Amino acid sequence: MITSLLVLALLQQPAQGFDHSKHKALFPSCTTCHAGVAAKGESVWPDPASCATCHDGTIEKTVVWRPPTAPRRSNLRFDHLGHAAKAKDKSPSCSGCHTLIGEPRMAVRAPVVQRCLDCHGIRTAHLAAPDTACVTCHVPLARAASFTRPDVARLPAPPSHAAPDFLSRSGHGAVSRQTVGTACATCHAREFCYQCHAGSAPPRAITWLASDPRSTAIAARAAPASHGNDFADRHATVAAASTTGCTGCHVRADCLECHRPSGARGAGYHPDGFLARHPASAYGREASCSDCHNVGVFCTSCHARAGLVASGVLRSGYHDARPFFLVGHGQAARQGLESCVSCHAERDCLTCHSAVGGRRFDPHGPGFDAARMRRKNFAMCTVCHGAAVP
Amino acid sequence: MKRVLVVCVLFASPLAAQGYRLRLDGRFQAVGFRGVQIDSIPVTDTVAGPNGGPTTPDGFAVRCPSGAAYCLFFRPGAVQRGAPFVTTADASLWGFGVRGLSAHATARAAVDFTGSAAWPGTDPALELLAGYAEYSVERLTARAGRQLNSNRLGMIGFDGASLTVRDGRHGLDVSIYGGWGLARGVALPVTSPALNPIADFQPGKRQLLLGAEAGWSGRLGDFRAEYLREVDPSSDYFVSERVGVAGVARPAAGWAVSAGADYDLAAGWWGSAEATLGYTAQAVSGEFGVRRYRPHFDLWTIWGAFSPVPYTAVQGQVSIRALPRVQVRARGERYRFSDADVSTPLVSVEQSGWRGELGVTATAATAWTFDAGYTREFGPGAASVGTSASVTYAPAGPYAITVHGAALDRPLELRFSESVLHLYGVDTRYDVSPGMRLELGAVRYAEDRRRPDPAAIDWGQWRATLRAVVAIGSGDNLDRLPPAVRR
Repeated sequence: MITSLLVLALLQQPAQGFDHSKHKALFPSCTTCHAGVAAKGESVWPDPASCATCHDGTIEKTVVWRPPTAPRRSNLRFDHLGHAAKAKDKSPSCSGCHTLIGEPRMAVRAPVVQRCLDCHGIRTAHLAAPDTACVTCHVPLARAASFTRPDVARLPAPPSHAAPDFLSRSGHGAVSRQTVGTACATCHAREFCYQCHAGSAPPRAITWLASDPRSTAIAARAAPASHGNDFADRHATVAAASTTGCTGCHVRADCLECHRPSGARGAGYHPDGFLARHPASAYGREASCSDCHNVGVFCTSCHARAGLVASGVLRSGYHDARPFFLVGHGQAARQGLESCVSCHAERDCLTCHSAVGGRRFDPHGPGFDAARMRRKNFAMCTVCHGAAVP
Repeated sequence: MKRVLVVCVLFASPLAAQGYRLRLDGRFQAVGFRGVQIDSIPVTDTVAGPNGGPTTPDGFAVRCPSGAAYCLFFRPGAVQRGAPFVTTADASLWGFGVRGLSAHATARAAVDFTGSAAWPGTDPALELLAGYAEYSVERLTARAGRQLNSNRLGMIGFDGASLTVRDGRHGLDVSIYGGWGLARGVALPVTSPALNPIADFQPGKRQLLLGAEAGWSGRLGDFRAEYLREVDPSSDYFVSERVGVAGVARPAAGWAVSAGADYDLAAGWWGSAEATLGYTAQAVSGEFGVRRYRPHFDLWTIWGAFSPVPYTAVQGQVSIRALPRVQVRARGERYRFSDADVSTPLVSVEQSGWRGELGVTATAATAWTFDAGYTREFGPGAASVGTSASVTYAPAGPYAITVHGAALDRPLELRFSESVLHLYGVDTRYDVSPGMRLELGAVRYAEDRRRPDPAAIDWGQWRATLRAVVAIGSGDNLDRLPPAVRR
C-alpha cells in the first residue's frame, strides 16, 4: 500500500541529469561507475574525477557534478548489497530494475516499481497491492527519518481509501485491526489518527502505531459516509443512541459548539434565521427547547424586552385572539406548557389552581399519579394544598 | 494554598513538556430596535375591544391584574440600542508530568458596552460553563470539577466528579457521576437570582445529583442505558429521577435502526421516545421514523403537576444528490397531541400539526454555492410559511462571502400578532491564518405586524456583527481551526 514512495524517492535522485544512453559505448559495466552497488565500502556514485577524464575542457566540455552527500529521502528498506545477498542467484541485473521491459541496457531510469512487484510476485498495480505487501519494500513512516513533512503530504492514497465505507468502522476500522502495524504504518503514525480519534478512548489499534508528528502532514478531515450533507439535522437520534461511536472522532467541545448556552454563537444548532420563525417551532415543540435553554434566563430575558411577559394572572391582554382564552386555556396549556413557562411564573397559575387560596381548579390531568408525586416530593404538593395534602 | 504551590512546584514537569490549547471566540454586535414601554390606565377608563377584552380608548389591549385599580399595557417606546460583546474561552492544558492528566475550562464573559441592558444574555457577566481536571488512560477516565454531560436525558451540568471505566476489547463502558447540580439549560445553580423571575418557589440549596451510564458498542450496534436522580438536600425530596435507554443497530451497510426512550420515575410516565430507520449511501440518504415528545419539569416547580401531554409524530426526510452538483432535500413531520382531558367549549385549540421543508443546494464550479428552501409549519399556537435563499462565494482562498435573504409569514393562534418578516443580510469570513478567523456580517429584519390594534409596533432592526475566533496552542496538530469537527 502506498508504495509509490518508490517513485517519489527515486525522483529525488540526482542521477537523472546524466544521459546513460549517450555513454553506453563507454561503460560496458554499471559497476564501473557505481561500484558501491556491488562492493562494500565503495560509493554508489561515480568519482567526479573519472568524469573529468574526458570532460576536461579539451576533449569534452567540462561538467560540474558532485555526488550527493545528504542521505537519500526515502522510505525504502532496499539497499543493493543486502538485496543481492538475500536474492542470491535470483537477484536481477541492474537493467532488470532500472529499465522497462524490452528497453536496452543503458535506457536506465528510476527503478520501475512494476518490475519490483513482478519479481516479488505481487500481481497488481502498485497502489492496489494487498496491505501485506507494503512491508516488502517500505519501512514504517516513523523509521523513514529522512522524510520531510512535504514528502509525507505528497504520499498518494491507494484506491482502497476511496471506497464509500472506508471511513466507517467496517472499512478502515476493520482493516486497521489487521494491518495497522504494517501497511498503515507505511504512511501513517499515531498523530495522524488522533486528528479524528480525539476522544478519550481511541481504538486500541492506534496505539500499535509509532508516534510521529510528521504524519499530520496528511490531513484527515473527511467525514464518514454515514454523515450525509444533512447529518447535522438528523444526528440527534444516532448520537443519543451511540455516543460511544461519536467519541471515536469527536471530543466534547465539538458537541458543545452548538449544544450549550452561549451568546457568542451564531446559528449553530438552529438553522439560519431560526430566530424569526422560532414561535412556531417552540409552540410546536419541534425540539426540546429546555434541554439547552433555561426559560428563566433565556426566553424571558428577550420576551420581556419585547413586552411579551406576564406579571399577573391570565387576562386577554396577550392572548387577545381568543376572547375567552382565560376560561378555556386548559388544552393549550397542557399541550404547550413549556411555552407558558417562558412568560408565566407559578404564581400566575396559583391564582386559580390552588386548593387553599385560589379558585380551587384542579390542574391535574391524564397520567397524574398523586401518590407517587407525594412520595417523591411532598413539598411540591404543599405549594397548592398546604399542609392538607390529600 | 502554600502546600498546594509547593506540591505543584515539586511535581511540575519541564515547561517544554507543557501543552495547551486556547480558543477564544469573541462576538460583538451592534443592534437597534424599537422598545416597549409599560403604561397603565384605570380600570374604569378601559373599553371593550373588538374581541371582548378590555382595551384603552385608543385601542391598546390591556391586562388587568385581579383586584387592581389599574390595567397595564405596552406602548411603543424609544429605540433601544445595544452593543453586546460576548467572549467564550475554551482552554485545555496537559503535560503536567503525569501521562493522561489534563485540565479543561470553558468560560463566557458578556458585557453590553452601551450599559443600557437593552440586549439579553449579558447577565451574569461571567459564567464558568465547564472547568475540570481529567485523568484519562485507556481503561478509565476520571474528572473533577464543573462538567456538562450530554446524553438522552438532556444537558446535565454539575459540580462534582465522574468516573468512566471501559473495556475497549468488548466495547463496554460504565460511568458514574455525582455532585451538586446546575439548573437545566444554563451554567447557573438553581439558587441563582438570575433564575428567580420565573420561579417563585426557588430552592434554597442546590440539588444533589447522582447519575450512572452503561453502554455496549459492537460492530452490529450500540446500546446505552442511563439513570439520573436529583435530590433536594434541604428536604431529601426528589427533584427528578429518570432513566433512559437507547440503541442503534446496523444490520447492513448503510442501514441503521435507532430507538430510545426515557421514563420519568418521579412522575410515573414515559417521557420522550423515538424509533428511526435510516439509510445512507453516496447519492441518497433518508430517514423515517416515529417519535414522541413530552417535556420534563423538575419537581421543585409545580409544572409537572399540570400534566403536560405528549405528542406523537411520524417523520421522514430524504436527501438526494440528483446531479453531481445538485442536492435536493425534503423532510416532513406530522404530529398530534394526546388528549388533554379538559373541556374548553369556549376556546378551540389545535391539537395536531405538521411541518415540512423542501430545499435544494447547487454548486456551480467549485466556489459558488446556491441554496434555496421553503418551509411551512402549522400547529397549536403558531404557524409559519417561509422561503429563504443564499448565495455563497467561497474560493479556495481564505475568504468567503454569503448573501442571504428570507421571507416569513408567521401567524399566531392565540394572539393577534400575524406578521410578515423580510430578512436579508450579508456574512463574510476571512481566515487570517490557520488559527485565526474573522467574520463580519449585517442583517436587516423588516417586520410588518398585522395587529388590529395600535400595538403593531415596528420591530424592524439592523444588526451588525463582528466575530473573531483565535486558536493558539502547542502541539503538532494545530494546523487548522477547529480540529476534529466537520464544517
